[in-house]
Amino acid sequence: MLEVKGLMVFYENALAVNDLSLKVQAGQVVGVIGSNSAGKTTLMNTLSGLILDQRIKELRKGGERITIMGKVIHEGQDISDMPAYERVRLGIVLCRERHPVFPDSTVLENLAIAGHLRSKVEVAQTTELCFDLFPNLTRWRRRKAGFLSGGEQQMLAIGMALVVRPRLLLLDEPLLGLSPAMQEKVVEAIRSVREKTGVTIVIAEQFARPILPMLDFGYVIENGMLTLTGSGRDLMENPEVKSAYFGL
Amino acid sequence: MLQGTIIYGFINSVMLLLVALGFNLTFGISGVANFAFGALYITAGFLAWIGLNTLGLPYWLAGPAAVFITAVLAGLLYRFVVLRVRGLVVSEVIATFGVGLAILELFRFLGFIGFEYTLPEMLDLEVSLAGVIVDGQRLAILLVGAGLTLFLWWFTRHTRTGRAFRAIAQDEHTALTLGINTERVATVSVAFGAAYAAVAALVILPLGTIAVNEGYHVLVNALAVCIVGGLGSTLGVVVASFMIGFAQTFTATYLDTSWMMVVSLLAILVILLARPSGLFGSQKQLEERI
Ligand SMILES: Nc1ncnc2c1ncn2[C@@H]1O[C@H](COP(=O)(O)OP(=O)(O)OP(=O)(O)O)[C@@H](O)[C@H]1O
Ligand SMILES: [Mg+2]
Repeated sequence: MLEVKGLMVFYENALAVNDLSLKVQAGQVVGVIGSNSAGKTTLMNTLSGLILDQRIKELRKGGERITIMGKVIHEGQDISDMPAYERVRLGIVLCRERHPVFPDSTVLENLAIAGHLRSKVEVAQTTELCFDLFPNLTRWRRRKAGFLSGGEQQMLAIGMALVVRPRLLLLDEPLLGLSPAMQEKVVEAIRSVREKTGVTIVIAEQFARPILPMLDFGYVIENGMLTLTGSGRDLMENPEVKSAYFGL
Repeated sequence: MLQGTIIYGFINSVMLLLVALGFNLTFGISGVANFAFGALYITAGFLAWIGLNTLGLPYWLAGPAAVFITAVLAGLLYRFVVLRVRGLVVSEVIATFGVGLAILELFRFLGFIGFEYTLPEMLDLEVSLAGVIVDGQRLAILLVGAGLTLFLWWFTRHTRTGRAFRAIAQDEHTALTLGINTERVATVSVAFGAAYAAVAALVILPLGTIAVNEGYHVLVNALAVCIVGGLGSTLGVVVASFMIGFAQTFTATYLDTSWMMVVSLLAILVILLARPSGLFGSQKQLEERI
């Protein structure tokens, strides 16, 4: 479904992603595991096309130079230069890290904005699905998203991504800043999204333990380089993963 | 006397509101600075004048054409001049202000000065409100003002594009990840705001002549209303229009008309000192929470 070939990303002269290649098959849940500054966000932004916008903005500002090499291929089509909003039309939807919601709009308005490309009926349906998945949000329908807790904002952000009706859902650190109990809930929700909609999912995460069990395939990256690959089960039993990510 | 002042204060407030709506739509709701706003207002006036007097078109054609051309001009201006500095608010302000200045001074240079530059009135009648005679044009201002306010309120809440305006103002990257073409939406917002400016020009300018300096006054007034009301809030703009509008009319009646612009400037100053996010602005407080 999606393939990355020889990706390299430089911020000025600093290499953030180094010769990375990966494959995502339709229907899979794929994990990208890495600690802070491993290059997860850079990778996800490259898959979603957001980095192209960042590059343009930096250029206008006369800020840092962002260089991207390598290819992103979606169902045989090279989309490396396709802007982010067009990739969304292909069904590639990114949920950015740190619960990206519109703080000044209510929960319902946030979901409606997310339905930009969808009909009213479709938005109404997925809005209901979203409240089923995250019952915590139900009582805050008319509350401004900026006043929700971090965990609630994260749920809303995932809900918004679902309203777009992705075929390939990219989740950047969905568990960041959540309590273990909340993390369980979000993992449970991701699992149920997959069952209900059959969407393909790529999760970038540093908390490996909660997500490894549901991965069909995982990539471990460090300093922008692939260090390990394997199924979720293989990775769970790998001693290096255990010591680095489980603190054992 | 007092009744007259109150009614004319009310009308003056609606005039401010008309002028501020378009500015608020672009700068407040979408977060795109368009400081060529006053110039576009005057451009619409001259376009309508040229349509009516030079080309001899009927009003029903010249009026809408002026609105349309102003909107397209604004869109092109944004697309080809401002887009290069998109995201850098200070540069956007300077670039658009510069373009506005160029447009206004070009009109002056080309000799568009004089009493012959007037637009015809829309409603040819007079009514008496509480014993005060109000002419048809001022009635038209009240009607159009109410109509445009309601339309804007509805538009930003219940249409796809209106929601996209709010989205790009709050977080452009998130908007992109939801499939919103942020640069196109910003361009549409500028064109839309310019159309509002043009309609305001068509209903307000018949009260006087189309004067280049009016372009600067319009910008200052729009800015004052939006800053006092809190950028982005339609309710805030309505309330602020009435506060400043009445203050201006009372100043003009009991002091002198030349003090009217001072009221706007003072209002900006006071609000920036006392409550920088405006009376109804909540954006700043919310941002701090995240
Ligand atoms: N805009 C930027 N400008 C310069 N360097 C950057 C920029 N964004 C990221 N980097 C650098 O690129 C490397 C990878 O960063 P990235 O954000 O992709 O890591 P990450 O795995 O998402 O980390 P985290 O878990 O902290 O979110 C880091 O060394 C970081 O400092
Ligand atoms: Mg990250």
